[in-house]
Amino acid sequence: MAKRRSIVRRAGAGKRFSPGIMLAVLLGVGAVALVVANSGRVPGVAGAGDDGAAVAGRVATGPARAGESFFQRLATMWSASARVQELERENRELQTWRELAGRLAERNARYEALLRMPENAFGEGADVESAIAAQLVLDSGGPFTRTLVANAGADHGVRIGYIVMNENGLVGRVVSVGRRSSRVLMLDDYTSRIPVMGEASRVRAVLAGQATHAPELITQPYQVQPPRLDYIVGAQNLREGERVITSGEGGLFPRGVLVGIARGSANGEWRVSLSAAQRPIDFVRILPFIEVEAPEATEVAGQGPPLASTSSVSAIGREITAAAPTEPSPPVQQRPRRAAETTTAPPAPAPPPAETPAPTGPPQ
Amino acid sequence: MNERPISGAMLRGWGFVVALASVTLPALPLGPLFAQPPLPLAALWAAYGWAAEDKSGWQAPALLAGLGLLHDQLAGGPYGLFAALYLSAYLAGRVAAIAMSAPNLLPLWGGFALTAAASVGVAWLLAPIAIGSRASVRLYAEAAAITALLFPLVRPLYMGEASRFRGGARR
Repeated sequence: MAKRRSIVRRAGAGKRFSPGIMLAVLLGVGAVALVVANSGRVPGVAGAGDDGAAVAGRVATGPARAGESFFQRLATMWSASARVQELERENRELQTWRELAGRLAERNARYEALLRMPENAFGEGADVESAIAAQLVLDSGGPFTRTLVANAGADHGVRIGYIVMNENGLVGRVVSVGRRSSRVLMLDDYTSRIPVMGEASRVRAVLAGQATHAPELITQPYQVQPPRLDYIVGAQNLREGERVITSGEGGLFPRGVLVGIARGSANGEWRVSLSAAQRPIDFVRILPFIEVEAPEATEVAGQGPPLASTSSVSAIGREITAAAPTEPSPPVQQRPRRAAETTTAPPAPAPPPAETPAPTGPPQ
Repeated sequence: MNERPISGAMLRGWGFVVALASVTLPALPLGPLFAQPPLPLAALWAAYGWAAEDKSGWQAPALLAGLGLLHDQLAGGPYGLFAALYLSAYLAGRVAAIAMSAPNLLPLWGGFALTAAASVGVAWLLAPIAIGSRASVRLYAEAAAITALLFPLVRPLYMGEASRFRGGARR
């Protein structure tokens, strides 16, 4: 009966649709409208939707995640002791690295200070380009001598006579060289004597090391030393607090390197407060400066020894003066220079000069 | 508590270590606190103590000569100066060992002071020859004085209670 009434009503309605179809159509139209209006995404709505989805996802996966972290915590607790030990080891390593980094930073700063030295700090004639940076590794520190040992030697190009400076001024001079080290005679050693002058007054003097005191600036002829202080002129013009620099006389040091500050005393003595000693000397620059070579070191190519003499003048004379060719003579045997220095035999015939043809007769 | 007494050999070993440290520490760039002076010349303690204790008679001089040469090398020479100073202190210690009769502290201390003074005298003679006429022994004398002042503190490292500073015991 009921079925029949429905059929009758539907038949009586004519074009009526079912609610499901109508809902589907409405939703479909809405979806199409969303797509058309915002290309499928309305920010506010989409965000709210994402939030809702995320919450749902968290709720859904919550038990699984809780179980996972629980098992992770269990595993962590199981290995906690080992992890603590590992972290402590890493901490120790990091502390070691931090100390190393601190030392390297300090060393870097010292090297930078050395490298930033102005060009005129090296005096006139010093080969700044060939300067060798070194660190002082030993200090005599004893009661008799004042020397330092730098960790650069012959392998690094250091030679005896090179000058040693730091960013504050002159430290000393290389007096002996090993393969990987060199010994530096400091300015305040007993045996140190260097020619200096006042930067403003131009007063010349000899700086003599005292070891126990600041170096004395000798302005009067010294009894024990040979009379090389005679060239001191105008000592009365030296000023208190004046910068003292190397004078370059004698050729052992370049001219104009800062040595220190002149300090007068009540008894008329002048002393120098050394600039390089303002702070502990650690890093230095070793500069080539050998202006005057020893005559014995002068090599004459293709030449024999001088005529029973050690003077370089004779060697130079032989080089520029050819022997007069008169008649043939037997070849002269070359002898080592050192042997010639010790011989007392009468003068032998001079060997031929390097750039001239063989002589045809004995020398005159 | 059962405390074992420290053996004489161990004390002597430490004495040698202290002497070696006094030779090497001034050479390290550790600052003025480790210069000599104020650092004492511990090799003088060793020379004095070993002069009384050394049974063989050759080990102590050999060790002192080695210490002296090492000191000369580290100080930049001249070779032989410190060796001569330490050996002279050893000889002075031998003389003191024969001359003294009481092994208590005061004569030992006085004997060491005389030994240190003797080494200063030797330095006064040798330093001008070795280094130059302007050489001064002032710093060495200061170091020797500090060494003499500290002697009672380190005496056990270099000589036992009944050392041979008894009259004629050595002979």
